[in-house]
Amino acid sequence: MIVSCKKGFLDINTDPNNPTKASEALLLTQSEKAIADNFGIGSVLPAVGSILDVYTHQATEYNSNNKYGAVGADVSNMWTGIYVGALENLSSLIEEAKPAGNMKYAGIAKVLQAYTFSQMVDIFGDVPFSQAISFKSEGITTPNFDKGADIYPQLFLMLDTAIMELQDQTAANIREPGTDDVIYGGDVDSWVKAANTIKLKLYNQERLVMDVSSEVAALENEPLINATAESFVMPYGTIVSPDNRNPGFLEYTATQRSVYISPWFYEMLKGYNQNIFTGIEDPRIPYYWFNQLKPDEPDVEGNTTEYRDGGFVSIIFASDGPYHGAAQDNSQTVMGIYPVGGRYDDGQGAGGKGVNSSSGTGAAPFRMITYADRLYIEAELIKSGVLPGGDAAARTKLEDAINESMKQVDYFVGVTGSVGQSVPKLSGTTGATNYVKSIMDYYDANTSQQLQIILTQKWISAFGGNYPDLYSDYRRTGFPIMFDPSNSQMAPGGMVQPPIHGNPFLDPQPAVPVSISKKYPISLPWSSDELDANKNAPAQKDPSAFKVFWMP
Amino acid sequence: MKKILYLFTALMLCAALASAQNNSVKGHVTGPDGSPLPGITVQVKGTKAATATDANGQFELSASRNATLVFTGVGFREQSVQVDNRTSIQVKLEASTQQLSEVVVTAYGIERSKKGLGYSVSTVQPDILVQHSEPDLLKSLQGQVAGVDIRSSEGAPGAASRINIRGATSFFGDNQPLIIVDGVTYDNSVNTIGGSSGNSILTNGGAPSTGISALDPNDILSMTVLKGSSAAALYGSRASNGVIIIKTKTGNFTRSRKGMEVSYSSSLSLEKIASIPDYQNQYGAGSDFLYQNANGSWGPRFGTIDSIPTWGPYLAAFPKLFGDSVAYRAYPNNVKDLFRTGQVWENSVSANGGDQKTSASVTASVLQHKGYIPNSDFDRASIAVGGVTKLTNGLNVRSSLSYSNTVQDGGTFGENQVDGVASAFARSLFLARNWDLNLPYEDADGLPVQTSSGQYDNPRWDYVHNTIHTVTNRLAANVRFDYDIRPWFNASYQLGTNTYSTVAKQVIDIGSRAAEGNGQVTFDNFHDQTIESNLLLTFSPKLNNNNFKIKAVLGHNVFQDSYGHTSTNGTVIIAPGIYTLGNTKTQVATSFDSRHRLWGAFADLSLSYKNYLFLDLTGRNDWSSTLPKANRSYFYPGVSGSFVFSDALKMQSNAFTNGKIRASWSKVGRDADPYELFDIFSVGNPFLGQATASVNSQANDANLKPEFTTQIELGTHLEFLDSRIGLDVAYYQGKSTDQIAPITLPSSTGFQSAIQNYGDLRNKGVEVELDLTPVRTRNFKWNIRGTFTKNKTKVVSLTKGVDRIALSGVLTDLGPYIEPGLPFGYIRGTKSLRDGKGNLLIDPATGFVLNDPEKGMIGDPNPDYKAGMVNTFSYKGFFLNVLFDYTHGGDLYSVTLSSELGRGVTTDTRDRENSWVIKGVYGDANTLQPVLDSKGNEIPNITKVSTNDLFFTTGGSSSTFAINSQTEWNIWDATVWHLRDISFGYNLPGSLLTHTPFGSATISLSGRNLWYYAPNVPHASNFDPESQTYSSTTQGFEFSAAPTSRRYGINLKVTF
Repeated sequence: MIVSCKKGFLDINTDPNNPTKASEALLLTQSEKAIADNFGIGSVLPAVGSILDVYTHQATEYNSNNKYGAVGADVSNMWTGIYVGALENLSSLIEEAKPAGNMKYAGIAKVLQAYTFSQMVDIFGDVPFSQAISFKSEGITTPNFDKGADIYPQLFLMLDTAIMELQDQTAANIREPGTDDVIYGGDVDSWVKAANTIKLKLYNQERLVMDVSSEVAALENEPLINATAESFVMPYGTIVSPDNRNPGFLEYTATQRSVYISPWFYEMLKGYNQNIFTGIEDPRIPYYWFNQLKPDEPDVEGNTTEYRDGGFVSIIFASDGPYHGAAQDNSQTVMGIYPVGGRYDDGQGAGGKGVNSSSGTGAAPFRMITYADRLYIEAELIKSGVLPGGDAAARTKLEDAINESMKQVDYFVGVTGSVGQSVPKLSGTTGATNYVKSIMDYYDANTSQQLQIILTQKWISAFGGNYPDLYSDYRRTGFPIMFDPSNSQMAPGGMVQPPIHGNPFLDPQPAVPVSISKKYPISLPWSSDELDANKNAPAQKDPSAFKVFWMP
Repeated sequence: MKKILYLFTALMLCAALASAQNNSVKGHVTGPDGSPLPGITVQVKGTKAATATDANGQFELSASRNATLVFTGVGFREQSVQVDNRTSIQVKLEASTQQLSEVVVTAYGIERSKKGLGYSVSTVQPDILVQHSEPDLLKSLQGQVAGVDIRSSEGAPGAASRINIRGATSFFGDNQPLIIVDGVTYDNSVNTIGGSSGNSILTNGGAPSTGISALDPNDILSMTVLKGSSAAALYGSRASNGVIIIKTKTGNFTRSRKGMEVSYSSSLSLEKIASIPDYQNQYGAGSDFLYQNANGSWGPRFGTIDSIPTWGPYLAAFPKLFGDSVAYRAYPNNVKDLFRTGQVWENSVSANGGDQKTSASVTASVLQHKGYIPNSDFDRASIAVGGVTKLTNGLNVRSSLSYSNTVQDGGTFGENQVDGVASAFARSLFLARNWDLNLPYEDADGLPVQTSSGQYDNPRWDYVHNTIHTVTNRLAANVRFDYDIRPWFNASYQLGTNTYSTVAKQVIDIGSRAAEGNGQVTFDNFHDQTIESNLLLTFSPKLNNNNFKIKAVLGHNVFQDSYGHTSTNGTVIIAPGIYTLGNTKTQVATSFDSRHRLWGAFADLSLSYKNYLFLDLTGRNDWSSTLPKANRSYFYPGVSGSFVFSDALKMQSNAFTNGKIRASWSKVGRDADPYELFDIFSVGNPFLGQATASVNSQANDANLKPEFTTQIELGTHLEFLDSRIGLDVAYYQGKSTDQIAPITLPSSTGFQSAIQNYGDLRNKGVEVELDLTPVRTRNFKWNIRGTFTKNKTKVVSLTKGVDRIALSGVLTDLGPYIEPGLPFGYIRGTKSLRDGKGNLLIDPATGFVLNDPEKGMIGDPNPDYKAGMVNTFSYKGFFLNVLFDYTHGGDLYSVTLSSELGRGVTTDTRDRENSWVIKGVYGDANTLQPVLDSKGNEIPNITKVSTNDLFFTTGGSSSTFAINSQTEWNIWDATVWHLRDISFGYNLPGSLLTHTPFGSATISLSGRNLWYYAPNVPHASNFDPESQTYSSTTQGFEFSAAPTSRRYGINLKVTF
């Protein structure tokens, strides 16, 4: 009755809920998603793009990012998402794939690992690398932080190995990637192109601190991303639960919205900026953001807006103004169909009720490196003399790049789809053609600004995409020129003047006081959770003084 | 007096009655308040003849005319009464937890005289559990028992309370005691609703109840708190945090010669919110004295502008009701009007009957509790039956079965600032002063209407539309056989089960700011079954030398716990108003099952010498299913002793009644949770049609070994002045080592945590129970019972290379941690920057305080000490009980306080038409160092800030106080006084009842939480720091919790 044989009686500790093995396919999808989720934008995760979109002056927020105030706690989730969510799973994938001879899987995982580490170096400078993700294999509980300059060479080697593994004709490849590889569908050639283009990007980033011309020249003979359809991008879907949508689309489903379009970016695209592209309006505007208000519609919340220009409502970077904290959830301008899969701006507004989850599909891909990005990188390399061809070749590359940027809008809007509205094509319209011509005329007329123009166009083209890359570009080159609240020309007397007659309900719009105590952060602070738990981690940095090695 | 097992009493009674030659004596036994006492043992002194009182306190037995009757019962002083030729005897027993001769229930229901105990045990009078306007069993214990810390949570009906005895022994465990009801484990865990939708207590959380809320207080016969690990050692692994042993009336009633007996009790209480803040009504919504449709009341002074634009959502929903503008005026009662008068109505009837061999008992009760929050209620219906019989072969069979059904309805609680979260208390206590919430709360389509969409859900709408409906059915059953194999050798066997299932349905309705406004329905199904088998062999041989007594118990225990949880979350409600999973667009489901088994053998050897020197040796070996085979068997011993020096040294006098010292040492082992040995992968959500999995972020350990807690306890018990003064003091020291717990790994390892054996956690504390009887006359008695509890739990070490470990992630900015040298569960959060001398560093540009990029300790949630005092007055049939309790210290992170200050709604921030300078010195925002003048001195801050900025601002890298501040400024000292309970009643004298069917009748008035005072919180907040957000592991956090309630009740109890 009582004394059942206790041996068998106690042998019940096998977990019925979770597997002890997982196939490469399961791990690959998970890892790819983790990379995109954490480098992209999305206020809830929070992803690092949600800090860097403010730091690269494409977005503004009513929080500490708006004064360069991001702290280690703000990147803790992202840091964990990358190391635990992506890198450990990729490492587990390789461990499973290699002994079985599934070298395509192993190669893809290695490309992704190299890419991920490179982004981490670019964002933070020094990060755990040589001793990272080694708890399971070696029991390392407190990985050392390696110097970025020491990590980069290893990444090139990893990419070379990955390419060899991808192309390994002798491999058994019993299991091969297919639809589980949501980036390239298991297409090895595309992965080789992506790996080479990643190398091209990394060499370009290093060009100011070392001579990379021979490496770059060699790469030009290798297969690179050669069409927008070959771009290294992470697709998202339309499924609400479990959520498959672009994390940036959360702004549509949230009832409290936090991401504004930066007036600095807005004015640049409107042609209001007095120093660059003055008078040239960008035809991509209705694809880039969506005005919830019509130009003559009163503020839905009954609040006074800080920055309004017709239907465009935003707040200013580093604002101390009395109205920048006011709720504008259903009045503010939000990201549009191209960056996050939101709504194409047909000028109809949101009908006073704000956008919501059915305003768009949310299926916009996260663009890590597109074909246009490659062209901009090459334009920079030629313009700076790393690649041959001189000014004429640089000009051609830039024109190709801008034209591709227009096509890229159509391509990704096509992938994304829309809800209840038909979205017109951009490429080939008079607006697009005229715009490219105006920019190229401006380029020809302003010879001293040509590198600035290349990087500014790249910045505009990448809107809503890979913010770590835009942040790197700015830190390397100082371009595009960002808004500086301490600059007496940009903010005379510490004031920023919104378009004086931009607000039909508050005319004239008062100037807004701005101030900043923090210097520009040239790398992000490390994850505070990591520093808390890792004895071998360095002390927290002063973000305004900690250079990434490729900065001059 | 000879110690007899409770069980033996009944057995011997039968034998005694069979040979009775004497007169029959009837009697009635009542408690100090005059209410009848069931289950009191009545024994004829010097014989084996004994009986027990029935449900009405009546007894009958045969005794000689000059015999002496001895009355004993758990929780009462022993009393001897001469029969003195009487045939009817009235006896009033005095309650006492002090008397050394008192009988208490210890492990496995073994009853012992308190004299012989080498450790601290407290008994709880069952009458404090009922008819005090407090339906929550655990809350009834507040202030009553030294060493016990009860924490309440939301002020919503049925909301869980947490109980802890002598601090934490486990880093990550819930550290709550084992609860044993009629010999069977009673699972008291709280089940968080909405697992599949990612909800937590923080986000869209409800006010879940715990298992103990299913227990009917009316059916409780006795409740014993075994505090130390010595007392608990026999229960093994599960008893590291002490044991609460509850006996029910139906499971333990005694046979009676009388036929049917019935008693009935009824209570009705009215409930209100305990208090709301003192609001300012001079300023409405806005900031910097400018009108904005904002949440903060920092706008223009009323009277300076006449009207404001009509709130967009109201205008859109009711275009005919509103024009372009509405009056700008204060609504002083807008918060008060959000709440109602609730009520608690409790009815219970119990009956028992039978004959000398066989009898049965039943208790049925119904509780209906409507909270002060509209649409919140907690109903419990329970029925328990028990029966006992003695077979002709001498085998005693006893069985009981209880069933309860609880239904809880409530809304959502918790933090609202997290995006996409709903909470009925999101704004309730800090409404802008010009908001009129008596306006319609929903439009024609049932969608919420409030001053701004997205910021919060109108609480009135939330009450009705965002709901959690929880139904729990619980069945407890057990059967027990016992048999005297020899007069000195008894064998008993008990098999019992306690099984429940909880089905919870959470609805977030269409239009809420949560669930993307699309609505969602979540079903959770929890089921848990414990099975417990106990075999006890008791040897009590009679020794030749009368000075020595010996008793040995050999035991065997098998325990199994099976738990399961499934959760299905359906998102996007299709047809409004239909809350089924089928009526949602997509569904996601999760499930989890676990099983845990223990197999234990134990022994308990008690020795006594001349009834003043006692020694007790215990030992138990457990075999656990959750540990690796090599480590699954573990043994732990205990020893305790007691020396009644007043007896030994014959010191007794009128001045010094009794004195005893005691000491104990014990060790308790504990196993792991199920499935912590092997690494696993977690299956994730599908993405773009692809299944996903990932390496589990927690690594497991195949070499786990058991963890151990050792505890030393020293104590004394003294009684003076004919027991008018009783004092019981206990000091203890505990140490828990080799904890099985996750250590935090830096993410760069690829894992977030790893299960390991590590750490050293220590407790020490003092408990005092004082019993005073200043006045004791024939008609009037005044008794004071005081308790004092002080416990310090300190983390001594973790593991090499690990500085600190987060106990749980609360918010990115703050959470509870463990760290060597610091109190257990200390609150670590963001701080302001200071110089070496402790001066705040001020950003010269803003006048705000610079943020420290490093987090640090900002609070200790553990109170310094707790004290309680019960005054009992009785005069003839009248009685008055007054309970105060006091908590000294302990920190609380409070969103309610931060919001009341930050939103500028209370009179604390009314004085605002001036500016302030924060005391500090200037600092550099980039270097984070003080700014120095030309002489190298720090420069005092003179930059002014407005009152509005002082409490609500975001300065990027600098901040102020309350909302948007560093978390350290929202930590408050939770010191609080409570006038917890008052009850005043009258026992109708027997003479009034002689011509009625009633055997006894008591009527009383009760008041609960009538007054409290928290000296260290903002004055106008009237905040009761007792309202917290429930967590089983962590304390010290309040996220817009529902405030406590106040009740006034009337109670009636009659017997037939």
